[in-house]
Amino acid sequence: MIEFDPNISSLLTNATGMTPRVNPPVSGTDFSKAVKALGDCVSKVDNMQQASDASVEDLLAGRNNDITAVVSAVAKADMSFKVLVGVRNKLIEAYKQTMNMPL
Amino acid sequence: MSVEKVFGPVDISVSGMRAHARNMEVISSNIANARTADAGQGQPYRRLETIFRTQGEGASGVTVDEVVQDNSPLQRLYDPGNPKADASGYVSMPNVHLPVEMMNLNIASRAYQANAAILRRYQRMVETTLELLR
Repeated sequence: MIEFDPNISSLLTNATGMTPRVNPPVSGTDFSKAVKALGDCVSKVDNMQQASDASVEDLLAGRNNDITAVVSAVAKADMSFKVLVGVRNKLIEAYKQTMNMPL
Repeated sequence: MSVEKVFGPVDISVSGMRAHARNMEVISSNIANARTADAGQGQPYRRLETIFRTQGEGASGVTVDEVVQDNSPLQRLYDPGNPKADASGYVSMPNVHLPVEMMNLNIASRAYQANAAILRRYQRMVETTLELLR
């Protein structure tokens, strides 16, 4: 789980840096909304990853001996990350398809 | 998009795992003290029982409400040589019955496994749903 952190932060910068580029001049289209929602979601998923890291660290350091809490935090982080990656892949695919559309 | 909304089953099954682990702790205390003639105030150990309670209204997790003493009569063991024996040669022993505790242990470990299985199955379900995105 710990090695996901750099990816998450790079994703975050990519996502925030991507929004103006993807945003058409007319603000508030469906696609830009979706991308913005994904950007908000990244921070939530990042919070969950950090919570799961913290609970693993607490368990290993002996501050907490409730292994079920660790299981819960890690399962949530894992699932939310998978949701994020699935939605992101779909969005990027949609973007690519739009860009490759012959005019 | 609220990712937290999909975690109900995770929280519920984890609460079940936690509660049954606590129950197992109580059962192991009962088994460890099955022959403890002195549990503090000169009285034999009394077996403990776990009371579960739901965490909230409707579909919710479980939590251990309290751990109560079983006040059923203590066992009487005929042991005239024991210094703690009374006038008729009987010693009071804890009201722990090992077969009963073994059954409770089985129930607790099966319940724990069932909750873990739900957690795993739910993770697979979410993954199946995400497969549909591809």
